[in-house]
Amino acid sequence: MSFQIPIGPQHPALKEPISLRMTVEGEVITGVDIRLGYNHRGLEKLAEDRNWTQNIYLVERICGICSHSHATCYVQGVEKLMELAPPKRGLYIRYLVSELERIHSHLLWLGVAGHEAGFDSFFMYVWRDREVVMDLLELITGNRVHYAINTLGGVRRDLDAGQIAKIRDGLVVLRKRSEYYFHIGANEPSFVARIAGVGYLSKEKAVALCAVGPTARASGWARDVRKEDPYAVYDEVDFDVATADSCDVLGRVVVRVKELLESYKICEQILDKLPPGDIAVKAPRKAKPGEVVSRYEAPRGENIHYIKSNGTDKPERLKVRAPTLGNYPATVEMLRKGFIADIPLIFAAIDPCICCAERSVTLIDAGSGEESVARMSDLRRRAIVRHENAPLKRNAVWPL
Amino acid sequence: MTDAELIEKLKSDLGDTVEEISNPARRRLFLKVAPQRLLAVTTRLRDAYGVVFLSTISGVDNGEMFEILYHFSTPETDYNIRTEIPKANPHIDSITPAIPGAVLYERELQDMFGIVVDGIPDARPLVLPDDWPAGNFPLRKDWKHERPQEVIPGGKS
Repeated sequence: MSFQIPIGPQHPALKEPISLRMTVEGEVITGVDIRLGYNHRGLEKLAEDRNWTQNIYLVERICGICSHSHATCYVQGVEKLMELAPPKRGLYIRYLVSELERIHSHLLWLGVAGHEAGFDSFFMYVWRDREVVMDLLELITGNRVHYAINTLGGVRRDLDAGQIAKIRDGLVVLRKRSEYYFHIGANEPSFVARIAGVGYLSKEKAVALCAVGPTARASGWARDVRKEDPYAVYDEVDFDVATADSCDVLGRVVVRVKELLESYKICEQILDKLPPGDIAVKAPRKAKPGEVVSRYEAPRGENIHYIKSNGTDKPERLKVRAPTLGNYPATVEMLRKGFIADIPLIFAAIDPCICCAERSVTLIDAGSGEESVARMSDLRRRAIVRHENAPLKRNAVWPL
Repeated sequence: MTDAELIEKLKSDLGDTVEEISNPARRRLFLKVAPQRLLAVTTRLRDAYGVVFLSTISGVDNGEMFEILYHFSTPETDYNIRTEIPKANPHIDSITPAIPGAVLYERELQDMFGIVVDGIPDARPLVLPDDWPAGNFPLRKDWKHERPQEVIPGGKS
């Protein structure tokens, strides 16, 4: 008999409003349904009522972790529409912040993965070190979350020699710590045993379901917008695309830690090559009619904005696709045939509590597909009846 | 293969199934196809050119017509397939037989523009709530948001 377990949209253990409905048979998940839209804010419609500059601050608020990704993706598209060429120094500072944001996001994820795997000391160490990069971001931009450093035609704040020296010192600490975490993440036996083989996603499925970012790269599909469509400074810096072939949560940990090490490399090259000069040029108020597709490699994967202008100071259409939406079909695939206990790990950022889910569950009749709501007492009664009729030996010995 | 070489190859290969191919920037190809040929072109591109990755689907309300853009990318270049359907009869074929990962974007298109995607495996609303009034499609240009009057359950005390 299969049960359906609803998790969310409002749930004490979920950080974000998303509704998951798991159809389970015993401990094994046989079907997953994801329902979205509980936090839909109508940003695309709102963007049509605001001018080009106001929209920078609007799109920055799409996400609280990769806020710079959306703002940069939007700004680099609008600059193409306006035919602006931002000065080199401005671009270098913009993409330095991009890489620092990737570092903070991957460290955050790594901590959450440790926490979900029951390795809480790992989580606390990682988040302590994440403060180093958060402080660097605050030093550069003045903010910890919404950096607001982008403007049309460049960036809003310059770097001085003292700040550059502090960033270099911070990167030395972070690299040393990340190498240690790489060693732990790939070698600590209990941690590896918990995450290896969990949430399997084959390369064929990753391709068919259009997975993006580290999820796709951990399934052996080396797609990275920075490498294949190098925007701004990425054709001037040397880095590798991190991949793994294990197709599971272990692979996703390895890919992210490798990406951390690549990001340190990119940051140091940006600081070495930082050219002198202006940081921004003045942007016009209006953009010529046209359209542009802007792609950006956010920490979670490919971020794409389609911007269409009609000659006024407001966009005709702004379409935003955040990387997480692209990964939902793949997540459904990963959860299928998994265990209930693996849901938090696979969902990683979400921490659902199954046992206190709800007092009543929805049952689906496997034959007719009919749904019925049963009370806990009914379930208990059914279980006792089933147990009494079960062909089990009453005095069976537990095989130890 | 550069973009120009690829355009030549596409022109000779796809013939008149593609109405227009433009290349406004490096790595950006825009192909215009008729809506009834969309699935055939997508399948051909997938099998012969390795175009398997769909980034997203954008809908645009152009007054009388809806413009739909399918943003694909490969390691070599980006393909943006553009098609237009009339607003009076907004029907488009699903591309999920060729690209299974397109289903969420097609559901979003149905919600936001009221475009009917024929043959979609899962036609439920994606982002709009269950009690959303029928016939309201927020991203159409003629749709204006009117805040519903707040009603306190049980009335004012």
